[in-house]
Formats: sequence, C-alpha cells, structure tokens
Amino acid sequence: MKTKETVLLLLEEGLQEKWRPLLEDSSFRFLFYRQPHQAAARILEAPPNLIVLQERLAPELVYELTKALKTNLNLSFLPIILILPPKNVTKDWKDWPADDFLKEDASGEEALSRIKLAFARAQRSADNNPLTGLPGNTTILKAIQEKINAEERAAIAYVDLDHFKPFNDRYGFARGDEILRMVARVLTNVILSRYGSKGFVGHVGGDDFVFICPLEEIEATCQEIIKDYEALLPNFIDPQDLEKGYFEGEDREGNPRRFPFPSLSIAVVSLTPGRFKHYGEVSAAAAQIKKIVKARSGNVYFVDWG
Amino acid sequence: MTEVKRQVKKRLKNLQSLPTLPAIVGKLTRMIGDENTTAPQIASLIEKDQVLTGKVLKMVNSAFYGFPRRISTVANAIVLLGFNVIRTLVITASIFETMQSSDLSLWEHSLGTAAAAGLLAQRLGLKNPEEVTTAGLLHDLGKVVIRTEFPELYKQIREKVVQEKRYFYEAEKEILGLDHGEIGRLLANQWNLPERLVEPIAYHHQPEKARKFKKETAIVHFADIMTRAEDYGSGGDPWVPPLSAWAWKKLKLTEEDLAELIPVFEERLLELRFFTLEMRHENERNRTATP
Repeated sequence: MKTKETVLLLLEEGLQEKWRPLLEDSSFRFLFYRQPHQAAARILEAPPNLIVLQERLAPELVYELTKALKTNLNLSFLPIILILPPKNVTKDWKDWPADDFLKEDASGEEALSRIKLAFARAQRSADNNPLTGLPGNTTILKAIQEKINAEERAAIAYVDLDHFKPFNDRYGFARGDEILRMVARVLTNVILSRYGSKGFVGHVGGDDFVFICPLEEIEATCQEIIKDYEALLPNFIDPQDLEKGYFEGEDREGNPRRFPFPSLSIAVVSLTPGRFKHYGEVSAAAAQIKKIVKARSGNVYFVDWG
Repeated sequence: MTEVKRQVKKRLKNLQSLPTLPAIVGKLTRMIGDENTTAPQIASLIEKDQVLTGKVLKMVNSAFYGFPRRISTVANAIVLLGFNVIRTLVITASIFETMQSSDLSLWEHSLGTAAAAGLLAQRLGLKNPEEVTTAGLLHDLGKVVIRTEFPELYKQIREKVVQEKRYFYEAEKEILGLDHGEIGRLLANQWNLPERLVEPIAYHHQPEKARKFKKETAIVHFADIMTRAEDYGSGGDPWVPPLSAWAWKKLKLTEEDLAELIPVFEERLLELRFFTLEMRHENERNRTATP
C-alpha cells in the first residue's frame, strides 16, 4: 500500500472547523496547527509533503518559512499554498516562492481540489535530483544557455569529487550519499548567500555538480566553498582514518592502496560575451579544464579565463 | 521502573520545544532584522545558549537533512542549513514565561563549562576542540528539561538539595528515578545528536562510564568542576562535586598545564561576565517594562 501523503495546515480555529469535515474524508494525512511557531518547528524538523499556511496568523514567519524551504533547502518540489484574506490577494509573486493561494472564504471542496492539483503539478516537474533536491540536467543546460543568450560575464563551474569511488567502496553508499548531500548544501548556501536568486546550483548526477555565478567573484566563491567543505568533511570520516589521514582500499586492479579523503575539484569556464553560442561548447571547454584540475591533488579550482 | 520515571520518559518523547532566555532571543531577533548581520555573528550568539544550540543541532541531525548523528557544532550546522533556515529557527524559538534567578545561574554555569571544556580540549591536543565546547555547553540540558517540564518536582528537588545538603543529581535520582545526565542522554539520543556529544552529557557526573569518548567526557566532567570552583553561575549544588579519580588519571594534566590554563580561563570568564551581565540587565528591564 502506498503511504499517505502528509499535509500540514496552519489555520485559525474557524477555518479549521469549516474545512476539517471535507479534508478528513480523503486519502491524505492532515496535521492541523493553530500555533505558527509549533507548525514551523514541525515543518523544519520533519517536512510534510504539502503545506497550507494562513498568512494572517504570522505574516513574517510565513514569509521567512516559505523562503527558507524553497530557496535554502531546495524543497522546490514541496508545494506551499497560502491562505489570503479575500480582499487582499495581490502579492509580488517573484519574491514570494509559494505555489498557489486560496482565499479565506474558500470552501472545503475547493481547498481539497487545490491540494490535489498541487500534488499533481509537483509530479510533473521531476527534473530535480532525488538525493539533493537540486535541479537536474535539463534545467542546468537551460540555465547555461540563458547566460549565453543574455551575454553576461558569468562563471560556469563544474564541481566533482576525487577519490569518491574508493570512498564509497570502503564506507558504503549511505556515507557516500551523505557527502553528496553535504556538497549540495555547501554549494547552495554559498551561492545563495552571495548572489541570491542570481546564482544557480544544479546536480548533474553522482558526484557531478554545476554552479553559476558572476565571473568577477568566482575565485572568492571557490575559496569559500573549499573552506566550508574542509570544515565539514571530518564529520563524515571515521576517527581512526582521520587520525591516519588516509583510508585503505583497493585500486581498479584489486591491489591494496592508500587513498586520500574525497576532495573537491572545481573546473571553471568563463563566459564572456561572444565566446560561446551553444551550451555544448561550454561542456567541451569544461572537459579540457577538468584534465588540468584532475592532475592536481587536494581541494582545487582552476579558472579558464578564456 | 517507578511511575514517576515512566512519566518523565513519556514526557520526553512528546517534548515540543524548550524555552530559553528572552534577552538572548530578543538580541538574536534584532540581529536578524539587521541586514548587515553575518552568519558567524549569529552563530557566536547561538553558541552562548544551550537551548538554541540544542535546537540547531537537533534540526541538522534530523533524518530529513540526511546527516544523522554527524554534526556537533553550530558553525558546521549553519554552513549546512544556511542563513534563512537559521533565521526561521530563531523566530520559532520559545522563551521562558517566568524567569527565575536560578535559570540565569544555570545558563552562566553552562557557558563557563563550555569555555573551560574548549580550553582543556585545546591544551590536551584534541582534534576538534569546538565539539568539546559544545558538549560542555549542553551538559546540563537535562536540568533545563526538569525545570520546565516538571516545575513541581523541580521545586521538590531543590528543597531536598538545600535541606538535606545533597547533590542535585542524588536528589533527582531519589525523586524522579533518574538524574539530569540520564535525561540529557535520552533527549540527545532522541534528537539524533552525535555520540561524541551524547556521552559527555550523559556521564559528566560518572565519567568512567563513557565507552567511546572517554577523554571528551573526562574533560566536560573536569570543566564542570573548574567552573564551579571559579564561582561563575551555579549548577544548583551547595558544594563543588567530587573530582573523579578516573577522569583525573585520564586527563594527565600537569601542574604546569593548570598553572597556564587557569589564568586564561579566568580571563575568558571575565569576558563572559560582561556578556552575562548585559543579559541580566536586559532581563531586569523586560521584567519592569511588562506590567
């Protein structure tokens, strides 16, 4: 049997009374909250599958929470429906990353129908990587092509992990996945805090990531990413290996070998007006730079200034 | 298992959120409203409060984020969660409805222990002193739970401590059936905190019970005692608890180590005193401001 989707609703008493009978009829698991802080804590600790928030109850918190979920945690697939006062439904939706809204005077039937629609819509945008929640290849290529077309001076950075395969063999996939999620969080938070919605982070798959940022700040950005990665990595290595500074594994021929811990390599292609016409050219340039980066050990970046 | 003990365990399972000092939350809220505030500034204030630090670590170690039992410092947690999430978390912080002087004393005691633990870890060459600092900060979390979740029993424990001149953890054991170390352990496990934090929290009064993180536990045990000896804040006991011979042997501190450590610790405490005094004043102001 399929597990029920959890829907969390933050609603005032009256609206709960009105909607509850219809909502409880369906195949979802509904969690009703009246206290904004309790609802927010529950959402952050164990996110449900869909969130309905009545803005009036805590305007600032509802806004902060929506932003945090959608932009910081890459829960863009987590639908958020706002409940607004009937006379005040105009918002700057560019700044409000909600998926839909309902009026406070909506019926329970309408609410249920909107919730189902939101789930259906979330199913359709399935480009996101299931492990990290980051946008996948289709979105990445689109983002690169948009930068080319806009003739912006941008840096397209290809990030991957060296020695990740032997690490996975030695520590198991679960730990490897933790490292990939960690890298995704570091990239997201560095890019978001520096550039907001002007930056971009995507997950090609496996240990391959892409980020985009303004060309002028690429070196400082790479340095910050590497610094954060270095600070976090020890949490994912067993103490005895950490003590030694390496782990033991087997190379491709099955011979025992000492491996350094997974390290970041960042190959950067600079996008200057007129240099490329098509995203395919960018990937080709990246492949060349990757060879240079891979020849160096440790956490490294290299910028091809064009 | 006694009825009270069963009750305590049940309540822990359903624990919503622990309250913290209004002055800290107030200061954080102001910082968050200021666009120039940086993540490290927020981190350094969160690191001065055991409840908020617990909240951040609980979140980053929850199954959802995908790194269960990995992260033991606020600095690491902020890098992983990001600024927006931390902001939201601060907005959702709950505060003490009624503050008591003992709440502030326990808070100061935790801060002092954190500072001492960090200095000791550094001196003894541990790989990550920040983790041991966090363990020191969180070591008495169990006491906060008793104070907020069982105010009546807490009063009884305090009375027993004063009247019978007993240690706090002994009185807790008699009245609740388990002490604050055990409560802290249950809570820390429930929150998925790393074992390197759980053991010092659980065994800071019986450090010899630690299995994996012996040195860290011995450090927090000794840091607890150092802070009481300096008379900074209060753990609630009438006297300084006895030093474990096991811990002392484990730490292998020399006369020279202590001669160098103690002045540095006292200097750190002086800085902390300025900060805690500011928070005490702010609490006073808040109290007189609200009718």
